[in-house]
Amino acid sequence: MMPMQTLEEIKKRLESAVPGVCVEIVSNDSPCQQRSLLVDRDHGPQVAAWLRRDDALRLDYLSNVTGVDWPEVVTKQKIKVKRKVDGVEKEVEEVVQTRSGGYLEAVYHLYSMELKQGAVVIRMRTGDRDQQNKLPSLTPIWRSAELQEREIYDLFGIVFEGHPDLRRILMWDGFEAHPMRRDYVEPDDYEYEPTPHDSVLAKAKAHYPPEVAP
Amino acid sequence: MDEGLRSELSKQGIFTSTLEDLYNWGRQNSVWPLQFGLACCAIEMIATSMARFDLARFGAEVFRPSPRQADLMIVAGTVTKKMAPQVVRLYNQMPEPKYVIAMGACAISGGPFKQGYNVLKGIDRFIPVDVHIPGCPPRPEALLHAFMTLQQRIDGQRLTGKSRPRHLNAEAPSEFPVPQFGAKDLEPPFNPEVWQPPRLVRSE
Amino acid sequence: MTTEYDPYLFLAVFLGIALVFPLAPLGLARLWAVLYSNNKPGPIKNATYECGLESKGDARVQFRSDYYLYGIVFLIFDVEALFLLPFAVAFTGLPMGAIVAMLVFLLLLVEGLVWAWKKGVLSWT
Repeated sequence: MMPMQTLEEIKKRLESAVPGVCVEIVSNDSPCQQRSLLVDRDHGPQVAAWLRRDDALRLDYLSNVTGVDWPEVVTKQKIKVKRKVDGVEKEVEEVVQTRSGGYLEAVYHLYSMELKQGAVVIRMRTGDRDQQNKLPSLTPIWRSAELQEREIYDLFGIVFEGHPDLRRILMWDGFEAHPMRRDYVEPDDYEYEPTPHDSVLAKAKAHYPPEVAP
Repeated sequence: MDEGLRSELSKQGIFTSTLEDLYNWGRQNSVWPLQFGLACCAIEMIATSMARFDLARFGAEVFRPSPRQADLMIVAGTVTKKMAPQVVRLYNQMPEPKYVIAMGACAISGGPFKQGYNVLKGIDRFIPVDVHIPGCPPRPEALLHAFMTLQQRIDGQRLTGKSRPRHLNAEAPSEFPVPQFGAKDLEPPFNPEVWQPPRLVRSE
Repeated sequence: MTTEYDPYLFLAVFLGIALVFPLAPLGLARLWAVLYSNNKPGPIKNATYECGLESKGDARVQFRSDYYLYGIVFLIFDVEALFLLPFAVAFTGLPMGAIVAMLVFLLLLVEGLVWAWKKGVLSWT
């Protein structure tokens, strides 16, 4: 059996097969080093259909869909820059701000049952975390995405356009938050427990204030 | 009846009893549980009812599919906030006298999911629980022990007097308010008449 | 010396016992209920049992009349399957007459199926 094509090959063929598509390879620093394809959201369904149809890939099995929340992170870095000040060359420290994140992401893990190969991981990112939280649904291509996309909608708040039945699945209909987002604040309902730590410790101190300050 | 006289009589081969003892004896040996499981603890509950552990020895093998015929609710498993109103409603639909065993870490306190957004921190926030079993999940022996504890509890219930159980007291409520789905949590998050947050008493 | 009594006295005694025997436990149970076991009805307790969910709407719903034709056709072919199974098991050992009889039976049913098909019973829109 032929080994599966590398992501670079898939990317190259994808760019010729779907005109106008914007594909990036996302690296992965963790031990598994499983890299993935970042697909722009406008061409998502076309790319998915091609991945499923293509003779060399035949990715007919969607095993898992998950969501990731990337809140906006501003990292400040001091770098030394050589610059001429009053005609004399000096080293000046400058602070460079880099912004990253600020979007939601849906990750699809694809396998091929027919060719017994996989996994190919594709990702799609929303515009931001509030207003532009829409992504095209891949449920018309892989039916198994239906419940998992509903779950992502419920827990992360990504609105999947073209989904046949987009309702909350784990929380009730009147629930007003997306609890897996990193900025989710849960209701202030603390009950005594003997060994609180971290954020629970802060709650414990608020609910059971020590009578005498230590 | 005087305990000494009773033992003397039984030495002579005469068995005496009271109406209360007879009533409790009958009840404690025919406790019919409601047949429902919420999570993994339910598997242990099923194992308890099967041949190896044999809950039938205690007269409780008749798992009823309807709350109208059940005496005992075994809350076996994680009670999510979405499921909690249904559990309370089922409890309300059971006829008196009714008992509750909260089985496993999740049912008694939320367990490993205690700080989660979706799990109720113990079913005793909404309904009165008679026996709590710790464990994740508890072994069938633990459920049997809880069941025997419940039997002892039933045996100790008085027919009359101030300490009589809820079902013999016309004033005591039989229904407990069902929580509603709120914007972020159940409303109310607990029933203050049934449960209060534990108070911390600091020693000097 | 013999005691003279009405032979129908037995019936009267039996009638009395027959009444007391079931009524006494009922009366005792009623007495128990009045003395100890208080009746506590409530809106949730008396509500329709729906596995803990709130019941919605009425239990009486209208079916399309098409459903009954569909159901009858299903029933007929269900029974046919019941006959086909022993027929298939005993097929090799059957005499010619039995096979012909069975084929006639099948033919009649197929005719019914064709009729239902033409009538549009099988399409559900």
